[in-house]
Amino acid sequence: MSNIITGKNIVKIFGKGNEQAKALNKVNVEIAKGEFVAVMGPSGSGKSTLLFALSGMDEITSGMVKFGDTELSKLGENALADVRRTKMGFVFQQPTMLRNLNLLDNIILPSAQKGKKDTAKLAQKAKELMNKAGIAGLENRDTTEVSGGQLQRAGICRALMNEPEILFADEPTGALNSKSAEEIMELLVDINKEGTAILLVTHDTKVAAMADRVLFTKDGNIASELTLQKFNGRDRKARCETVLAGMAAVGI
Amino acid sequence: MYLKIIRNDIRKSRLITTTITAFILVAAMLTALAASLTVNLFGAIDNMLLSAKSVHFMQMHTGDVDMEQLQSFAQTNDSVKEYQVLEFLNIEGADIVIGDDSLAGSIQDNGLCVQSKKFDFLLNLNGEVIQPADGEIYVPLYYMQEGNAALGDTVTIHGVSFTVAGFLRDSVMNAALVSSKRFLVSQGDFERVREHGQLEYLIEFRLAEDVSFPAFEAAYLAAELPANGPPAITYTQVKMINGITDGIMIAVLMLVSLLVIIVAFLCIRFTLLAKIEEDYKEIGVLKAVGIRVSQMKKLYLAKYGAISGVACGLGFLTSLPLQRPFLQNIRLYMGESGSALPGLLWGLLGAILICGIILLYVNGVLGRFRKISAAQAVRYGAPQEKSKSSKIFRLSNNRLFSRNIFLGIKDVLSRKKLYVTMLMVLIISSFLMIVPQNISSTIADDSFITYMGMGICDVNIGVMRSQVEDVAGKAAEVSDVLAEDENVETYVFFTGMMLDRKADDKTIEKFRVTLGDYSVFPITYFKGRAPQTKSEIALSVLNAEDLEKNVGDEIILIVDGAEKHLTVCGIYSDVTNGGRTAQATFSVNSGDVLSVSMAATFRDRQNVGTAISQYRKQFPFAKVTGIDESTQQMLGSIRDAIQMASIVAVLSSALLTLLVTVLFIKMLVARDRYPIAILKAMGFSDADIRRQYLTRSITVLAMGVILGTILANTLGELAGMAIVSSFGAATFDFVVNPWLVYLVSPLLIAGCVVIATMLGISGIQTLKILDHIKEA
Repeated sequence: MSNIITGKNIVKIFGKGNEQAKALNKVNVEIAKGEFVAVMGPSGSGKSTLLFALSGMDEITSGMVKFGDTELSKLGENALADVRRTKMGFVFQQPTMLRNLNLLDNIILPSAQKGKKDTAKLAQKAKELMNKAGIAGLENRDTTEVSGGQLQRAGICRALMNEPEILFADEPTGALNSKSAEEIMELLVDINKEGTAILLVTHDTKVAAMADRVLFTKDGNIASELTLQKFNGRDRKARCETVLAGMAAVGI
Repeated sequence: MYLKIIRNDIRKSRLITTTITAFILVAAMLTALAASLTVNLFGAIDNMLLSAKSVHFMQMHTGDVDMEQLQSFAQTNDSVKEYQVLEFLNIEGADIVIGDDSLAGSIQDNGLCVQSKKFDFLLNLNGEVIQPADGEIYVPLYYMQEGNAALGDTVTIHGVSFTVAGFLRDSVMNAALVSSKRFLVSQGDFERVREHGQLEYLIEFRLAEDVSFPAFEAAYLAAELPANGPPAITYTQVKMINGITDGIMIAVLMLVSLLVIIVAFLCIRFTLLAKIEEDYKEIGVLKAVGIRVSQMKKLYLAKYGAISGVACGLGFLTSLPLQRPFLQNIRLYMGESGSALPGLLWGLLGAILICGIILLYVNGVLGRFRKISAAQAVRYGAPQEKSKSSKIFRLSNNRLFSRNIFLGIKDVLSRKKLYVTMLMVLIISSFLMIVPQNISSTIADDSFITYMGMGICDVNIGVMRSQVEDVAGKAAEVSDVLAEDENVETYVFFTGMMLDRKADDKTIEKFRVTLGDYSVFPITYFKGRAPQTKSEIALSVLNAEDLEKNVGDEIILIVDGAEKHLTVCGIYSDVTNGGRTAQATFSVNSGDVLSVSMAATFRDRQNVGTAISQYRKQFPFAKVTGIDESTQQMLGSIRDAIQMASIVAVLSSALLTLLVTVLFIKMLVARDRYPIAILKAMGFSDADIRRQYLTRSITVLAMGVILGTILANTLGELAGMAIVSSFGAATFDFVVNPWLVYLVSPLLIAGCVVIATMLGISGIQTLKILDHIKEA
């Protein structure tokens, strides 16, 4: 299966002079089309930095990141923005919504290119996604009028509007209670089943256990990785134990 | 601790702190300057009037003066402390030759006089009473300023030569606005020239304290004392006329200062609002843990206290060296004001006042702290501004705009309070840009003189009784020439008469009326219209005010021995004949003819000047004035000054727009780091985001320019009216140059806003998604 993301020798250094910190140290990663990859590691091990580097949201100090056959660092600012908008989706730990738009408008925002495009169609599509995400009926609510879980689902709907090839999720359940977190994860698994690759950063073993593959980061490197069977809704406990064992093996 | 926090805060926002400091500094400087100049002006006027022992009441008179009648009036009237009759030898401008040039073109009534013995002294530039030696002449300061005369020049009057020994301050006739000017010579020289001029008398009084000047004027006229000349001048008028030129300058300084303060307020407002929004969560947390609002306010107040304290101090210091050039004119015309201390003190007080106003304003804006709900602030971290219009305007319903334009407009709609600041600046800028231009084009327009009581003609030939014995005969002589001159296209007569008026209390008073056909060279009426029938009369504004008459009221005149009832048909502004005039069309067979003036237009438009000088030679007894000359002399300097002011206003408003918009957008971008990061993460390019900001600016710009233009042409016309009425026109309509007002000015402001927005959003490119997305 061909790769959707290929990262080679990725180095990311923060700061200058004596205050330099190497967040990623010659990391190599490959993510196949339709794959669900989770990244785990202690705080400061470079997992979020890796996600932002692979998505082209952050410049890397050296190395190379390819989206399909396209090398991201060679793209201009506009082309990179186009790739992000049309081929990638993003879900952050905190729901990132524009405060002055309601939920529906926030969701259709990335796909509403020009006014001439039929916004009714977009709104219809957004409503279908909201329905699927369990937030039907909240279309006209302001971002302050819904719960954190509902907002996060809206964020996922927004990320899916342009039918991305890959979804980047940075601790999408981090700020949610366990019930909401469970629901969000089920939604992500469903999305993945429909063919969207997912790269997800998490601290939660239960979340990581739903992925096809888990990368363990430590001190700016991928210390080890664990490949699981495709998640089918069963054997949760066993999968969690496998992930925990993997963590123990690298000492995290 | 305060000092440390203030220092850190200022370091973080250098640009905005510098700008606010600069605005406060300029406002404090202008206020200190205006306060100090006002004190100095009044001090100097009082000093001059004191040194000159100025008159309390003065009537100019042509003809004999019955000294006994005057003496008995003075003795029986308790108000009179002193009185005197001075001689004023009216000399034709053409006969006064200074160096190689004569004063033929001067619209002033020039005359010689000798130093007074009792009061109304003419002073030299050191404020001392001048005693000229034979052969010496002291020239009014006005001519030094106009560049007509210099020290040591030779002045020749009918072959008698004088040397300019100095310039004089005349407490009564100093100002350019006063149409008579006194030259001072020795008694001996006066006698040598006496036969060449027309003698007029200045009947002058010094009155007891607390005497009402209008009451004294009424008593003077009631006693039928000589009054064949322009209306009497009182002490109040003398004071006002001396103060008016510099007074207008001070008023302009104060006006500019007010605008600068408003702009400073706007800058402070949006800085504070932005800061409050930035610190929203922290303020909520502080409130939640029980910190008092007053304690939080103290921090901000301390910062602005420090900024405005420093700015006002520097403003006051800057005003000190600036006082010199501004005081120059006051010093020249009126001399020193005595001690410099009161001026300095008032200046300092002015600067302190600005500091106080700024702190009060900051305190007012900080009142918002009370409205912040701790729970809301901690939960959402930003104020929630709800608006219906914003809710209706939805992306999902949008068929019209691209998403960038949509987001730009949406932001303006949902954060109206914030954008109001920028809107206000744009309204002020458009207003400032347009109003002075309108005033300038109005004054520069040919029709402007019609607002000042003058019709549009080429030449005005005046035959006055103060200069000619046989007014009617000489006027007929002129009339014959005009009738036969083929170059004359149209001409019309105006006869100035002194008639009796029956007042409402049945007493008889003297009343000047000018009779003629007012349809030929029409003027513009403040109210009503020109007299058309023989039973109508139009009054000048001053006359209407004095007589308390309005359009439709009745005036009774005694014409040819019989009462004539006239209806007031119009009221107009007038700068001629002391502003107290009346117009009518009826004819009179007998009566006191004061003057006959003839207004004419020429067919040969190219050689109007030649025709005028030819008439000047032909009618040495008459006052021949080209209308261009008189408007130039009357309005020339004002026109130039206003034009200059309008250019300065255009440039400063452009600069203001540029500066404030850059600051505003920079602050907006700083505040919007988080939403910008979201947009970038979602795949919006920098160009997309730039378009959104440009849309915001252009939306506010369009509203600002439209509102500003509307206000400039409504409210601005009223403000302009107030300014222009001080030059003598009580009413006028703006003459608008549509290209400038509706195209060039809006384009200039738009250009500034677009440039400023581009500069303001230049930081977007370097904004890293990662640095800000985690802030949420």
